[in-house]
Amino acid sequence: MVDASKITKMLVDIVGPERVTDRDFDLIPYSRDLGPASQKLPTHIVMPETREHIQQILKLANEQNVPAYVRGGGTSHWDAYLAQQSGIMLDLGRMNKILEINEADLTATVQPNCTWYKLDTELRKKGLTYLCSEAGGPAMTVGGSVMKAGGGPHSTAKFGFHGNQDVICLEMVLPNGDVVQTGSAAWPSAGKFERQCLGPDLAGMFIGAEGILGVCTELTLRIRPATDIRERLFVTMKSLDDVVKFGHFINRNVGDEYLQGIYLWVDPNAPDVFIVMMEIFGYEKEIVEHRKRRVLEKIKELGGQLGDRAPADDYYNRILTGLTDIFAAGVWHFFGAGSLRIDDIKFIYDIWRKEVVGRYGYRKAGFGGQVLPRRWLAFMVLNYKEPDETAATMKMCNEIDEMVLKGPVVPYGIGGRDGLRRYVAAHNTGYYRLLKTLKKTLDPKNILQRGIFIPEEELR
Amino acid sequence: MRIEQYRDMIYACGRCNFCHGADFSERCPEVYSQYWESSTARGRMAIARGILEGKLKYSPEMAERIFGCFLCARCREECKKAAKIDIISITKAMRADFVDQGVKIPDGGSSMASTAIKTGNIFADTPKVHTKWADGLKFKKGSDTLFFPGCLASHRFKEKTNILVRLLQAAGYQLDFLGEEQTCCGTPLWVTGTVKDAKTWAKQYLEKLKARKVKEIITPCPSCYRAFVEEYPNLLGLKELPMRVRHTSEVLAEIVDQKKLKLVNPVNKTVTYHDPCEIGRYRGIYEPPRKALAAIPGLKVVEMPRNRADAFCCGGGGGVKIMYGDHSQKVSDERLRDVTATGAELVSTICPACELNLTHAIYQAGLDMRILDIAELLAVSAGIVPKEILDPDYIPED
Repeated sequence: MVDASKITKMLVDIVGPERVTDRDFDLIPYSRDLGPASQKLPTHIVMPETREHIQQILKLANEQNVPAYVRGGGTSHWDAYLAQQSGIMLDLGRMNKILEINEADLTATVQPNCTWYKLDTELRKKGLTYLCSEAGGPAMTVGGSVMKAGGGPHSTAKFGFHGNQDVICLEMVLPNGDVVQTGSAAWPSAGKFERQCLGPDLAGMFIGAEGILGVCTELTLRIRPATDIRERLFVTMKSLDDVVKFGHFINRNVGDEYLQGIYLWVDPNAPDVFIVMMEIFGYEKEIVEHRKRRVLEKIKELGGQLGDRAPADDYYNRILTGLTDIFAAGVWHFFGAGSLRIDDIKFIYDIWRKEVVGRYGYRKAGFGGQVLPRRWLAFMVLNYKEPDETAATMKMCNEIDEMVLKGPVVPYGIGGRDGLRRYVAAHNTGYYRLLKTLKKTLDPKNILQRGIFIPEEELR
Repeated sequence: MRIEQYRDMIYACGRCNFCHGADFSERCPEVYSQYWESSTARGRMAIARGILEGKLKYSPEMAERIFGCFLCARCREECKKAAKIDIISITKAMRADFVDQGVKIPDGGSSMASTAIKTGNIFADTPKVHTKWADGLKFKKGSDTLFFPGCLASHRFKEKTNILVRLLQAAGYQLDFLGEEQTCCGTPLWVTGTVKDAKTWAKQYLEKLKARKVKEIITPCPSCYRAFVEEYPNLLGLKELPMRVRHTSEVLAEIVDQKKLKLVNPVNKTVTYHDPCEIGRYRGIYEPPRKALAAIPGLKVVEMPRNRADAFCCGGGGGVKIMYGDHSQKVSDERLRDVTATGAELVSTICPACELNLTHAIYQAGLDMRILDIAELLAVSAGIVPKEILDPDYIPED
């Protein structure tokens, strides 16, 4: 049995009394995420401000055999950043600085809790941007997005999910307290300019691992010139087959360069109306107009209807500042989500149409997806009322997840015991076994994010 | 518990953290001064839910999270985009629950409320001292239009209040004044959760105003203004108070609109305007003060990047100044950075609490800058007071 007051004192010795709390009212705000995962309380909150603080906290956790969990902006889903067992929660909120914007190499180096909004605001003052993808609102952090390989409506068609080569270097504190630099930063005298250097791409090992292999303390991102040309389209397609054909057209016939966002949305009250919003990419007006013309020709050929672009403008303009009325019908939950080939979108749509809308008659659950470069990130999202509808919602979502993951869908957002980890464990693939081996090697006491991604019993 | 009535709203928090924003200093003055998740609106909704579910109890240790809120409503403004939670009402209900349950609240809060009840104002002034600002002024008893300065304008800003009244009178307003009968509007009661006395207070005050046949109240204090237009009707179950209530910003806009004063003297200065939370976000009064400033010849108005609904609190809200002075000072220092970044020579606002807090920030920073009420700038332009009051080294007699 761990002596909580003893841990408090040891944490105070590391970060000072102002950055440690074990008071119940301070713990409870860390007990839920954006989804309906059951409440999970940590025993301590600590706010480190430096890499060295994190090293010392993880050493303490190892010595005392206390799990350590990591939290960024607290806007994730899938139970991926909640304390699955009693343990220390590292709130990285204070590590939110922009360390460098290198206009020559076109890189930006930030601490993990720098928000996308903060970074983009500073970049745009210099005519630069990263083009953050996720529509997670103003508190969404760079580190949080990258550690879960977040994807979203903006920039995905062109640049892909966070971590898809746009993350150049990472600084990670391993569970034993050691520090690792990846990419070109692994060579101390070189600098931070390239992802694939010196052997295996170790950044890729950490991206999407949901923090189980290390705590991210610094990220270097590839940035690019910003463009002020805003050409958005709002189109209604008459069938999902047409959407698929359009996706292929974008990805094959004209290339990923054409769009920096293509977003499909189907409302449960009009499940046969396929809304596609898109943002055309280009630095020169002439190029953008040419691309727009080609896109419109294809839409016309497919029988799509061009609508008022205002909803598309509103949607893309709010990616970093927050979508409106998101909780008007209740709080949110994503489910039935994953990556899949462009042709396979009908599989996941059919489940949503027949099961969620048809069998359950659920009218607060939409279907959507983004055409990433040559694939979809598709999802179902619903609003529900807490606490009355939580149990029934979770039951339905679990059933849908099971159906979806039996098909050609790679799960996205694995998380803890209320997330998708059981499906990953049940598959017991070579990939999973290697991941477990890595975890056991780097974190023999299973200190970091214990119970996230891999059930604890799988690592004993 | 009073928070029971907000159960649906508390459960509607989707934990999106719009209330926090992109950085500690961006939106919420409480999280900027405390840093904990429990000091955000999202955190407070989690605490409220914990209390509703019996997992938490109000405690003296929790007080800093609940009474450390500046009630600036920046989070509520942001939540209009998301879950439309009335975070201010919930926070006030939590404060009232503290008092109802006999849980110790911060000393500064309890003493402010008890002082207001016992002495009639938050400074424990005698009536004579409290009305000293009005020396030399003449009022018209029974004029229907009551000038209601409030505690802070009476006690701390005697010269500013005196100038405001002279300006209003020069513009033709026939003002009545309660004189030594004037007491606090009651704001300290609901700000500190001491609400059991509030209804009686409001009822008795309204009776006093009715007996005097007041048809309109003009006040320079956003808290007093809100007391009359929001809190009294809520406490007394009225749709609205049976008399017109105007904040001076609206009256000053009327003066320039209707050209009730000749603004003959140019004020060749650059000024930036700070939006007080309680007339801005609470009541949507953003343009009247700007209209008044824009009418002053020679005056160049530059906006801070955070203005109108996005304005950062001055640090004077929610009683935090008196309960957690260091937090208040930190927030006012941050707001002053917004001011100085504009390059303005003067800062203007139209709220005694904002004027006080920003004055303290200016002192702390050692700046040569004056903070002036819009009425003072208009009075200089109208030739009612000498332009020396604009000088950075001018020291008011009060």
